[in-house]
Amino acid sequence: MGRTTYLLGQKAAGRKVAAVWPARYPAEILWAHGVCPAEVWDPPAGQALAGAHLQSYVCGVVRQGLEFLLSGGLAVADFLLFPHTCDSIQNLGSLVRDLVHEPRPCLFFYLPRSREGQRATEFLEAQLRRLSAELTPLAGPLRDGALEEALALGGGRASALRRMYDLRARGDLDATNEEFYGAVRTCEYLWPEDAVLHLEAFMAAHAGRRGRGVPLVLSGVTPAPSDLAARLDALGAALVEDDLLACGRRFLKTSSAESGAPWTAMAERLLALPPCCTTGDGVEDRTAFLAERVERSGARGVVFLALKFCEPELFQIPSLARAMRARGIPVLIVETELGSTTPAGMMTRVEAFLESLP
Amino acid sequence: MRVASELRFRWMKDVALPVLLKARERRPLARPRGESPLGPPLESTRRLRGLMTRHYALARYAEGARPVAWVTSGAPVELLRAFGCYTVYPENHAALCGARRMGPEICARAETAGFSRDLCSYARIDLGHALSGLTPAGRLPRPDVLFCTNNICQTILYWFKELSHSEGIPLVMLDTPFIASGEGTPEVFDYVAGQIKDAVPALEHITGREFREERFREVLSSSMRASALWGEVLATMRHRPAPMTVFDAFVHLAPVVSLRGLPSCERYYEGLLAELRQRVSQGVAAVPGERHRLMWDNIAIWFALAPLSRLFAEHHCAGVAGTYPNAWAETTHYLDLADPFGSLAKTYTLIFLNRGLNYRLGLMETMGRDYQVDGLVLHSARSCKPYSVGQYDLRQALAQRLGIKSVVLEGDMTDFRTWSEEQAKTRLTAFFESLDG
Repeated sequence: MGRTTYLLGQKAAGRKVAAVWPARYPAEILWAHGVCPAEVWDPPAGQALAGAHLQSYVCGVVRQGLEFLLSGGLAVADFLLFPHTCDSIQNLGSLVRDLVHEPRPCLFFYLPRSREGQRATEFLEAQLRRLSAELTPLAGPLRDGALEEALALGGGRASALRRMYDLRARGDLDATNEEFYGAVRTCEYLWPEDAVLHLEAFMAAHAGRRGRGVPLVLSGVTPAPSDLAARLDALGAALVEDDLLACGRRFLKTSSAESGAPWTAMAERLLALPPCCTTGDGVEDRTAFLAERVERSGARGVVFLALKFCEPELFQIPSLARAMRARGIPVLIVETELGSTTPAGMMTRVEAFLESLP
Repeated sequence: MRVASELRFRWMKDVALPVLLKARERRPLARPRGESPLGPPLESTRRLRGLMTRHYALARYAEGARPVAWVTSGAPVELLRAFGCYTVYPENHAALCGARRMGPEICARAETAGFSRDLCSYARIDLGHALSGLTPAGRLPRPDVLFCTNNICQTILYWFKELSHSEGIPLVMLDTPFIASGEGTPEVFDYVAGQIKDAVPALEHITGREFREERFREVLSSSMRASALWGEVLATMRHRPAPMTVFDAFVHLAPVVSLRGLPSCERYYEGLLAELRQRVSQGVAAVPGERHRLMWDNIAIWFALAPLSRLFAEHHCAGVAGTYPNAWAETTHYLDLADPFGSLAKTYTLIFLNRGLNYRLGLMETMGRDYQVDGLVLHSARSCKPYSVGQYDLRQALAQRLGIKSVVLEGDMTDFRTWSEEQAKTRLTAFFESLDG
């Protein structure tokens, strides 16, 4: 079932749908209000309409998201949510609301750029309450116990994803790269209970030892272009872990210590996500995270997908790559863009990298 | 060591530099070769040159004598001044590198180290400088602390984190949440004010100096006066003919960016304002025969400042307003000595780059009316996403609201590898001609 068909089904079941731009946002609040988030990372879109609004040096996530919106691809959404991820998404949200005059409500969410201290948690908690207040007229008030239920749903989904990642890292998942990311990325729009069912079914269907392949870790924003995972399968590369903003760097909670109070727990959950440049984490934290991914999965190298014009990523890649090399981990950095086809030159470089690995 | 550094610093500050700068001040102001379409140059430029030369020259001797801080242009520097920090602004330094046409050379050093050419060129210059020491300013002092605020962009955060990581320098960061609409909420200002308060013990630890609130208020007071004076300086361009242009403003904003909170900054703007008022009273025009009045959006194209200024003037067009120079006068009215931390939080959170585009549109519309502009030049700066994303639609909206024509120049602040001078000249000339009807 395609995304739009699924989301129409959610609406028929009485839920609202929110189009949500990358990257980190409190899905639990949306679920608690009965809203199904549909994330807009790299939708299939041309170049016809966004060019009138955006310069050529704006990243593909922003360009394609706007193109998809303007071409009616997000007609299913009742409103739009723009997490404050970077300068470009910040301005995109404002552009869509203030200057393109999108008729549907546009909401914003700001995640603090520091995880340290009580101040960030308190501010984030206030942001969550504000977002909930803004959702109330759009999707109805919170039911008693809705937050706790949403937290449990989020915990269940994170747990299923973690198991799936663990199975893959241990080599106990017989799935191709394409199949794996196809399954993981359903979490971008499935209601969490459906997502868990889907992931569980996937793990059951793909139980078994992984076939042979050169184990790699992929780092970047999304596994883009959209045929990349399949092309890596064809080359004999087995992605065993990732540090992708759209996937492993966002879904997998690293700490299980949460307060009892739901608002605080929600804030803590967001602050406990893996280290990320978009939320101001330093390269030291990300290096440690990435090195741990490599170690636990036995990966033989890291491929960095440097998404064109993505400042948060592009600033950290040189230091991350240096740190990996210093640990004896081979690294390949390839410039990439969204789209449907991986350029032949990029695949040649990946192929050469695979051949060079010890 | 500290005593020796202190003595050397004082000797340079009080003896050597004043003598050297006195001699330099006697040098005549550079005038463009041949017949210039511009009015007489501002006499204050001579003092500006001295002030900024002194600042950069003295910086070389600050290490060991003063705590040295590298600061972002939108950071509440008043706090650092209270600790007696010698401040260096990497953005100002990058602009200087751009103006001296050293941008690509220094950027290339960062690119060789793996930093993408798509990144902010200010950041690439700073990282390139850190890697190579290349600078037109002689030498920049190694910082004891990096101080950044993400109110102007998130880029600052990635850039200063990288600098902190690679150079092993402590970073004090203030997070100023984006104000998508409205005037901000108490929780936002409490969050920011709390971080400024938290920075006090951190800075006490780093600088080894005690925080004195009285000194802090003195600095705030000076900063308020300097920003207010800068606002008055810009307001003189409301006069017809304008006594200076936005290109002059780009040059003369250096003190309010780099030296605000210091008495020398206030004194400088008192002098500049007096000169401009005299020009207004005498009817001296920055662009003789001023026919059209234009607003500039975005940061300056530093390497092309002089030719652009000349091209504008050749067509009797005066740039009389700019969103960028205005930023240092825009929110100072929030400063309140009775609530230093809270008011600093408001002042630095509510700058236009940290607010939704609707706010920017309103600001530009007001400026357009106040300065009676009849055209808009938008510099689409490849390096600066928060300033540039949205410009195409701002242009359309302003055309409707103000009934003005506009032109977009694709360029960059410092990296002229992305700049086509001929193309820009052709576009601007066609635009100027269209203004004539």
